[in-house]
Amino acid sequence: MARAGRIEISEQVQGETVTLSIEGELDLSTIPMVERQVDASVGGSEASELNLDLSDVSFMDSSGLRLLIELCKRAQQEGWRISLTAPRHEAATLVLRMTGADTALPFVQAPPP
Amino acid sequence: MIVLVSADVTELILDRAHSAVISMDEHGVVSYWNPSAERTFGIPSEQAVGRTVAELIVPERLRTAHIAGLGRFLAEGKGRILDQRIELDALRADGSEFPVEVTVSALHGDDGWSFHAFVLDVSERRAAEQEREQLTEELRAALRGAQRRFDAIVGSLSDPVTIRSRDHRFVYANGAALDYLGFDSWERLRETPPSAIMNDYEVRGEDGREIAMDDIPSVRILRGEPAPPLLIRTVHRLSGEERWNLLKAAPLLDEQGEPEATIMIIEDVTVLRRAQLRSSFLAQAAETLASSLDYEQTLHNVAQLAVPRIADWCAVDLLDEDGDRRTVALAHMDPQQLAVAQELHAHLPERVDPTQALGRVLRTGESVLHPRIDDEMLVRTARDERHLQLLRALRLRSVLIVPMRLGARILGALTFGAESARLLDRHDVELAEQVAARAATAIENARLYSERSAIARTLQRSLLPERLPEMPGYELASMYVPARETSMVGGDFYDVWPLADAWMVAIGDMAGKGIEAAALTALVRHTLRAASEFDSSPAKLLALVDTTLKKRAQLSVCTALCLRVQAETVTMAVGGHPLPLCCSASGVRPLGGYGPLLGAFPDARWQEFSVRLRAGSSLVAYTDGVTDAQDAQERRFGAARLRDALAAHAGDSAAALMDGLAGALDAFQSGAHADDTAVLALRRSGGLGGEGEAPPARTLAHAPTIGSAA
Repeated sequence: MARAGRIEISEQVQGETVTLSIEGELDLSTIPMVERQVDASVGGSEASELNLDLSDVSFMDSSGLRLLIELCKRAQQEGWRISLTAPRHEAATLVLRMTGADTALPFVQAPPP
Repeated sequence: MIVLVSADVTELILDRAHSAVISMDEHGVVSYWNPSAERTFGIPSEQAVGRTVAELIVPERLRTAHIAGLGRFLAEGKGRILDQRIELDALRADGSEFPVEVTVSALHGDDGWSFHAFVLDVSERRAAEQEREQLTEELRAALRGAQRRFDAIVGSLSDPVTIRSRDHRFVYANGAALDYLGFDSWERLRETPPSAIMNDYEVRGEDGREIAMDDIPSVRILRGEPAPPLLIRTVHRLSGEERWNLLKAAPLLDEQGEPEATIMIIEDVTVLRRAQLRSSFLAQAAETLASSLDYEQTLHNVAQLAVPRIADWCAVDLLDEDGDRRTVALAHMDPQQLAVAQELHAHLPERVDPTQALGRVLRTGESVLHPRIDDEMLVRTARDERHLQLLRALRLRSVLIVPMRLGARILGALTFGAESARLLDRHDVELAEQVAARAATAIENARLYSERSAIARTLQRSLLPERLPEMPGYELASMYVPARETSMVGGDFYDVWPLADAWMVAIGDMAGKGIEAAALTALVRHTLRAASEFDSSPAKLLALVDTTLKKRAQLSVCTALCLRVQAETVTMAVGGHPLPLCCSASGVRPLGGYGPLLGAFPDARWQEFSVRLRAGSSLVAYTDGVTDAQDAQERRFGAARLRDALAAHAGDSAAALMDGLAGALDAFQSGAHADDTAVLALRRSGGLGGEGEAPPARTLAHAPTIGSAA
């Protein structure tokens, strides 16, 4: 299935903070797009903080979660800060609650119960 | 014309005659001058009579001849102009000249010779004649001009043009036609019937069917049929030269509107047609080669590709790891000849022999073309008597061998053979090499894919129990559907194994796919099995797996649900995994509570939950492939549909419960599974462990078909 239209990423830069707002479904097929965008935003730029705004992510599966964990790990290794804005949709928060990621990952506001 | 002697009666007639009548004596002096003569010459009779004819009506330039003629007649008695109609120029009174038709008779009487002339003014007739002559000349000039223009236009056309008469003879051919048909003179072509020329060629239509003389457009037109342009492929029987011609004909109609001849233009479209065929052939080749990743099928497709478009038969030879060759596919237009070609290739040595054409191609990677093979060559090439027999039986006329290579590596070779009228030439080499390049890629892809699929299948088998064991007091059923990407190993696993005092059940999902995920899955499964021998606490087992995964350099995360079953008591720990569902008469409800994902977070801890399963109740554990399954509208199956599907079968056996869920998933889902899907159901059959006969465990593997593992 062509998934090109299933995700949209917008970038906002404020000082050293880059905010990537993701809209759509975060799964195996859309992850590469997010990875590329993160590389473009963080790699080689002046940005020292990345905020991934997941408010409008409508679905997330285990591979989407794995991406978040990987990015947090990478931020630690490469010396930049990362923060996550929690999704509002149940289909996206479920995997976070199920795996304990809601408390373990640096969410700036806790996802709704 | 009547000549009258002078007489009174006749004079009256002569006076009224339409012609001018003039009489003169032997001195040339006018003795009679009728009224018509007066009008014709503009001289009244009284002025004419008594004067000489010479001075009256003979133009000055002719007078000497006139007088000399008269003298000669009187001397010799013979006149050149007497008693015949002759045309002369005459003079009018006003000095103008005009053409006349004169008949002169001579009579001898008492006064010696007299001459009587009938003179008719023919200026009008002469003018009409001249006009006609001029018109004729103009027409001739126009015709010559048309002929010249026709010759210039048609003769200089590079397309051959012929005109064929109703009796099927050539009545015209331009220079290009002579060249094209191989004639050095028009005379020779004119003497050759078209059917004799056609016999020199094998002629086929676009669809390959044979074309007869009656199908040729010019012949159809002569039969009065409509004749659209006809595309033909001709192969000269002697030279083997192949051409594509577009034949266009038009009738030349006679006055009745019937075709008396046809003009035919032979357009040589060989280059265009070959280019067309090549691009369509290559496009088709690409499509055919991409149509399958099955190795054997791909080899077969490669061989079939070329027949009969390039050659009459095609053999695919591959080199193995030892550098030996093996014929892996063969296609032939003629099924009987296929056997001959097969035996011929089987007769070749496996060891690559660089002195043979095939061996040279396999060794050097350079194509070899033998456009014309004669018997002497076969004798020279043959390894033994049988080989020669086979070569002769194949009726080979041309052979082309091209390498299949990937970069510098030579995979094998394609052999193309032509035995019918057509021969292979340098155009075919180029095309064959392009086919071989595509074939090489397709073969390599199919080979890699089949290797990878084999590895994937082997690995997949190692991730799941070959069959579910029989667990006393419980019925077991499972379902496993790998993701649609069949060469990829999925990360889902489940396992059921016995300990001395309990049964262990685990299900999980390793994030990621492919061989690396499969290896990690195996690691997790074996860690759980081995560690459970020492401590069967589900929470401790998850903690151990968590520690093991965290030691890896690469982020390795995994969800897992671990259960320990002791009679009716089930103790569980959940690591980032969907909670198991309990299905009973009172409904479907989740059991336990979430714990952290394995391998992901520091300082993770897991809680244990215990439940008691009543007889007839089922515990269903699943991976997110179930809830994440999508329908055509990209909706997810979700937890609610899962609960409904299970509730509908809550009282059923584990196998029936699994069938019900599989049916609901199939009905919902469009296409293949995007993700792995694993489900495991345990139904407490009643009584305590060991008591009562539990039905055999069932596995639903590779849905949508449901099979038993027993």
